Amino acid sequence: MEKIKENISHHRKSVFAGRGMPASTGEKCMSIFAYTVMGLFSLIAILPCLHVISKAISNGPDVTAGNIYFWPVGFQLETVFYVLTKTAFPTALKNSLIVTGFGTVISMITTITTAYPLSKPEFKGRKVITLLYVISMVFFGGMIPAYMVVRSLGLLDTYAACILPFAIVQFNMFIVKNYFESLPESIEESARVDGAGDLRILVSIVCPMSKPVIATVSLLYAINYWNNYFHAMMYTKSPNMNTLQVYLYNIISNSQDFVENLASGNFMINITSEGMVAAAVTLSLIPMIILYPFVSKFMIQGITIGSVKG
Amino acid sequence: MKALAKPSAAVSGKTGWKYKVRSFFLYVKRHPAMYLMLVPGLFFMIIYKFVPLYGILIAFKDYNIFLGNNPIDAIAQSDWVGLKHFHRLFSSSQFMKVLSNTLIINGLKIVWLFPIPIICAILLNEIRKVTFRKFAQTAIYMPYFFSWVVIFGIFYSLFGSYGTVNTVITALGGSRIGFFTDTKVFRSVLVFTEGWKEIGYNTVIYLAAITGIDMTLYEAARVDGAGKLRQIWHITMPGLLPTIVLMLILKVGHILETGFEQVLVFYNPGVYDVADIIQTYVYRLGMGQMDFPLSTALGLFNSVVAFILIVGANAVSRKLLGRSIW
Repeated sequence: MEKIKENISHHRKSVFAGRGMPASTGEKCMSIFAYTVMGLFSLIAILPCLHVISKAISNGPDVTAGNIYFWPVGFQLETVFYVLTKTAFPTALKNSLIVTGFGTVISMITTITTAYPLSKPEFKGRKVITLLYVISMVFFGGMIPAYMVVRSLGLLDTYAACILPFAIVQFNMFIVKNYFESLPESIEESARVDGAGDLRILVSIVCPMSKPVIATVSLLYAINYWNNYFHAMMYTKSPNMNTLQVYLYNIISNSQDFVENLASGNFMINITSEGMVAAAVTLSLIPMIILYPFVSKFMIQGITIGSVKG
Repeated sequence: MKALAKPSAAVSGKTGWKYKVRSFFLYVKRHPAMYLMLVPGLFFMIIYKFVPLYGILIAFKDYNIFLGNNPIDAIAQSDWVGLKHFHRLFSSSQFMKVLSNTLIINGLKIVWLFPIPIICAILLNEIRKVTFRKFAQTAIYMPYFFSWVVIFGIFYSLFGSYGTVNTVITALGGSRIGFFTDTKVFRSVLVFTEGWKEIGYNTVIYLAAITGIDMTLYEAARVDGAGKLRQIWHITMPGLLPTIVLMLILKVGHILETGFEQVLVFYNPGVYDVADIIQTYVYRLGMGQMDFPLSTALGLFNSVVAFILIVGANAVSRKLLGRSIW
């Protein structure tokens, strides 16, 4: 019995040796390779973040001595509190929140109200208006002409300068428009029969049906406003109008603000200029990290929605 | 639409444009809200997208910002000089340098970084442990949401002259590497950080394409005794090919436009020789040296060539893949 079994199993093995066996060793190699490479990539992605967070909460002397790698040495939150209370960080944070908050709301209203008429095949003038948006997407006046417009309108150094020029991103508008086009017409039709106007239909029927695309595009806008460095830097000059990105750039490239702060007498052992830069960077990452699960979920949806039309 | 509209026009006995105008006004009367809705978008688009197109005239004039009531009015008031600024631009040595820097930096990025997300997507797809796959995907996708300033802050802390990496190098007896100041290394820093930020995002795009591949193909291949590598080569790769081609076309089409904010944040006068790209030079010419016409001329040159590249890329995409980029 035993022998027969062995024989059979041996037999099976030999049968599979020709076709199955190479596959299974190949599969194993492949799997090991996949785990190793992706593990390595994950580490490369995570370690720099860990480094800067560690630097923000490690003991001051160790930060100065360069002892911080990818894990905190000691623990203190003095630096973080110092940055939050004694520097221009809160002002910059406030500016960024204002620009991102108002900007996203304005952008979404503009985007939805533009996308809706353009999504209706029977809308008269649809081709002309769509063409205008495509033209504005392809032709770009350039940096200096755009600056001259903002300057002529007297918007330099205002929140409006960081919001209005980017109020409608054509690509996002087209994503929303494509989504509206995919919605079934019948529900809107029945509301129309009941006497609801176009705006009414948009607000109480189309928008609730479009939650996924509205969430995705809102996040696209919010990330755009939050991360925007160049335009904020170009259109605002006074320090109290700096957004977070502008402020971070200034302290990273020359920690003047912090050095002055430190020189002004309130010396504390844990507070180092390097540690403070790291703390400011870490603090600015927090909203992103909190929002990340939603962001990544919706962004993946967004990629799929966006790629429906290509 | 046309096919529908024409017979009805014939039936009602009205001729072409009269019928069109009448039905247009009828529609406007019935749906005034639809047109009111367009107002905010058109308002922003005209002011911030079309008025700057008028500003392109700055490149053909001896622009004096203080003429007239405001900088836009000053454009009309300034004198025409024809192509003078373009002659200045094309005869300057800076022009060739920033053009070649732009092509080299973005070319290096394509050569080194383009294949990585494809490999990552294939490898992630091979990983059976869901928790690990989710973890890896999350980890590599995250930096995409960081701004260039934040990434600069993180990498400056690691690779700065007195950063962690140099501390280790000197501790091991080596000499410091000026990652941000050495002209030989700086482009590698740009390529590496670009990869750090963008690989995850592109991986997700390819992953989405992989999930669209018919699973029964793999089963059939397995039954036929095809190993993992063969399955990848004969099923996954052909399935991914349209996406790969599209992404490559897009990358090449945008070769003059990408990387501006990254370079602006990362570079410094010490590495202008290897890092100064067209748009950073446009910025410094305009906002630094206040040479608005020359800056606008360079910007216009960039826009026109970029436009040709993108339209060309679109034509290639249509021909190869049968679909338009936009």
